[in-house]
Amino acid sequence: MKILVAVKQVAALDEDFEIRADGRGVDPDFLIRDLNEWDDFSLEEAVKIKEASSGPVEVVAVSIGPDEVDESLRKCLAKGADRAIRIWDDAVEGSDSIAIARLLAAAAGREAPDMLFAGVQSSDQSFASTGIAAAALLGWAHAAVVSSLTYAPGAKTAIFRRELEGGLLQEIEIQCPAVLTIQLGINTPRYASLRSIKQAAAKPIEVLTPADIGVGDGDVGEAGSLSRVRRMYVPDKGRAQLIEGSAAQQAARLAEIIREFKGAAP
Amino acid sequence: MSRTDAVTRILFEAFSAAEVRLFYVLGYAAIAVFCWGFYVQVRKYRRGAALALEGGVWGRLGAMVSSVLSHRTIDRRDPAAGGAHRLIFYGFMLLFAGTATITLEYDILEPLFGIRFWHGEFYLVFSLVLDVAGVALIGGLLYMMYRRGWLRLPKLDYARPDRVPGDPDFNRPQYRREDWAFLWILLIIGCTGYLLEAARLVWLADRPDVWDTRWWSPVGAAAAEGLRALGLGESGAGLLRHGLWWFHGLIALVLIALIPYTKVKHIFTSAASLMVRDPLAAQRLPRVPDSQEQVGAAKITDFNWKQLLNLDACTKCGRCHEACPARAVGAPLSPRDVILSLREFAHATLESATLPAAAELDIHGKAPGQVAMETLWSCRTCMACVEICPVAVEHIPIIVQMRRKLVEDGAMDPLLTKTLQTIHKTGNSFGESKRKRSAWTKGLPFPVKDARKEPVDVLWFVGDYASFDPRNQKVSQIFASLLHEAGVDFGILHDGESNAGNDVRRVGEEGLYEVLAAANVNALASASFKSIVTTDPHSFNTIRNEYPDFGGKYEIEHYTTLAKRLFTEGRLRVANPLKYRVTFHDPCHLGRFNKGYDAPRELLALLGCELVEMGRCKANSFCCGAGGGRIWIPDPVGSEKPAQNRMKEAAAIPGLEVYVVSCPKDLTMFEDALKTTGNEGKFAVKELIELIREAIPAHLPEEVTA
Repeated sequence: MKILVAVKQVAALDEDFEIRADGRGVDPDFLIRDLNEWDDFSLEEAVKIKEASSGPVEVVAVSIGPDEVDESLRKCLAKGADRAIRIWDDAVEGSDSIAIARLLAAAAGREAPDMLFAGVQSSDQSFASTGIAAAALLGWAHAAVVSSLTYAPGAKTAIFRRELEGGLLQEIEIQCPAVLTIQLGINTPRYASLRSIKQAAAKPIEVLTPADIGVGDGDVGEAGSLSRVRRMYVPDKGRAQLIEGSAAQQAARLAEIIREFKGAAP
Repeated sequence: MSRTDAVTRILFEAFSAAEVRLFYVLGYAAIAVFCWGFYVQVRKYRRGAALALEGGVWGRLGAMVSSVLSHRTIDRRDPAAGGAHRLIFYGFMLLFAGTATITLEYDILEPLFGIRFWHGEFYLVFSLVLDVAGVALIGGLLYMMYRRGWLRLPKLDYARPDRVPGDPDFNRPQYRREDWAFLWILLIIGCTGYLLEAARLVWLADRPDVWDTRWWSPVGAAAAEGLRALGLGESGAGLLRHGLWWFHGLIALVLIALIPYTKVKHIFTSAASLMVRDPLAAQRLPRVPDSQEQVGAAKITDFNWKQLLNLDACTKCGRCHEACPARAVGAPLSPRDVILSLREFAHATLESATLPAAAELDIHGKAPGQVAMETLWSCRTCMACVEICPVAVEHIPIIVQMRRKLVEDGAMDPLLTKTLQTIHKTGNSFGESKRKRSAWTKGLPFPVKDARKEPVDVLWFVGDYASFDPRNQKVSQIFASLLHEAGVDFGILHDGESNAGNDVRRVGEEGLYEVLAAANVNALASASFKSIVTTDPHSFNTIRNEYPDFGGKYEIEHYTTLAKRLFTEGRLRVANPLKYRVTFHDPCHLGRFNKGYDAPRELLALLGCELVEMGRCKANSFCCGAGGGRIWIPDPVGSEKPAQNRMKEAAAIPGLEVYVVSCPKDLTMFEDALKTTGNEGKFAVKELIELIREAIPAHLPEEVTA
């Protein structure tokens, strides 16, 4: 039995960041990288299923990204994944979420897991499409925003719940293999101590190129993407302003502003 | 047997050969039982992990003998108990030595070499000495009984804060029974010794060598007069002496046999524990070798032999129980009970012939003998327990090693998990960008040097709280100004500095500590400086005591000693003496950990402040509650916080104006506690640095702002 967990190393903005010279992203010097928060939960869900199972279950973390992603994969290994796969070559740079899904689907085809978990979305790009697109490419059943799951490894179906608007819960039975995107709060992700991350260095991270899993260069990167980022920028500041001073001073200033707006003489 | 030609000790007089043989059989049996018990104990310790001690055995022996003979550690904070113990100790030792000397002559020297010394004046003097020793012993025992029975000291109450009434190990009445049995057995041995002596005197009253020298045993002689006054004749006394001889002898043999199995063993274990004491037990926590697969203590056998010995050294004196700030505010922790639980656990598992399966050696949990995670997380690692323990039990490394296991399992408060992740990601506990670490310097009218770019005399290791906490940033700005005005050539590491790791290590996240220590040692290696100063006692402790294990050896001082030097050298001058009535809170990591008691007090005197000490000061200072990572774990709602407990103590000082601290975390904790205890407006909490600023207003530069 095998569960494949798609994880992503996301970037968070540092204080006072700068935009890259080409204007299409943030200067990497100002990015702090970490495992995507949603993926913490999907990995934990897979590891919990493994721990609760009487039979052998393999949890495989898969990510698409350059060398530095190994750091996040090691965290996954420390938390209980048995092995990890990282897919990359320079041609992958510039892929949109569908092109990434293509790689993910190819990896799933190769691994033939019983389940593919992904996070609902990534905290840096928030497309919320990679997992679902991979399901479409694989032709598997899929569901998004899963908030609780009952699944015995190897079973033909799984039962899960989704939270809908208005406090409504939806319970769904789904055919396996399936792709589920996991919502925050489904479990309590465990802490990976630095020591366990260090020890996880002994577990294997397999590095593959798109070609290794049968994806051609034309199917990844900008060439393989139907969308591309045009520019990234910080919009001009709005007109909000903070009024400082004592309560009386603030009130006086506020009254002054209102009078200005009304066109009255100051 | 009988020697009428010389004054000597009456031994087996009037005993049949069979009786003498029986006594020897019983004596050897008692020794055999003792030896077996001794072996079982040693085997138990040897089942612990290996440990190589630093330092030579003679130095350790000397230190132990000096502690034991002087009773220095037992006198502390309880001189009455120390005095009584001293009487018992010396009384018992002399009586034991006396008996041993008789054995030496009677069973070894005389039969083998014909040497006799136990007669004449030597005997008489020894007889006097032993009589006095008996009085000391009985006096000490009576005081201890008075103490247990009438004074009913809270620290001698075995009710546990980490258990509830009804739990099988809630207040452990077997301890109480053992305590009393120990006192009574010694008292009976002492009293029957005198009675036996008196009966012997009456019985042999017709023998001048016995009767005429009786006043060399004054207590026995007085008792003999008493017996005679009660009408006891010679033959009656002979019978009484015979009975008492056996009674006294058998009890003494039973006591010897029971030593390894009862609290009596503390005469060996406590002495041995003192001998293997680590003077930096709490200041410098044990490293985990890279080769070691498992981190932290999960099983009883993960403790090293010295720690297992520590468990047996505990005499349940309750001083750590009394000193513990967590216990004082009702948290489910008493350092005494951690030690006693583990001792019971080791007793139940490690004394059998074969070692039980690993599953039965798990020390984490709520069963009797196990330690609950709530207990472990209650600890502030403030060192109050280690510092006061009279027998060198080292609680902190035991607790931290157990926490390491909890951290590996993720068994901790979610907020602490978050903080550790934050520190890993950003290098500080505030989750701020590294770039913002030196943002507080921007408000200064002068640039603060980057010690990585230009050489400086003094490198200031600022620390997280002094760098990021808005209230403490103001203090940092003042300290920078003072250094600047005094002409000190100083610099900081700016964004190269990381959290020093002191508290991360005490939480038990050893892997993260290793990362932080390595990062700081590297950053310091890239800087050029002569010495380090810090306003943060936590950083001070770990850099001073723990970084050397990570390749970082520096000259480092807390700001209080540097500031004092700047005053004595005339580089800072008090222009405006402060007339405040103040009290000073010793930070754990400056005071107890590093003995920095004097410099802050000398500074306060220089500033013109009137210092009124709190009851708990210097070595007995009361932790603010922030240590050991507790600043990142919320205290339970509704319960008193250690800082609030402390504020009440300070508020009891009449006319107190300023509660002086010299630690960034203290400033945060106590300003909060000042408000929550309703003392705001009655007195102020200030950093010593702020008082220095007040006393040197002439130098005050233009307003410094964040």
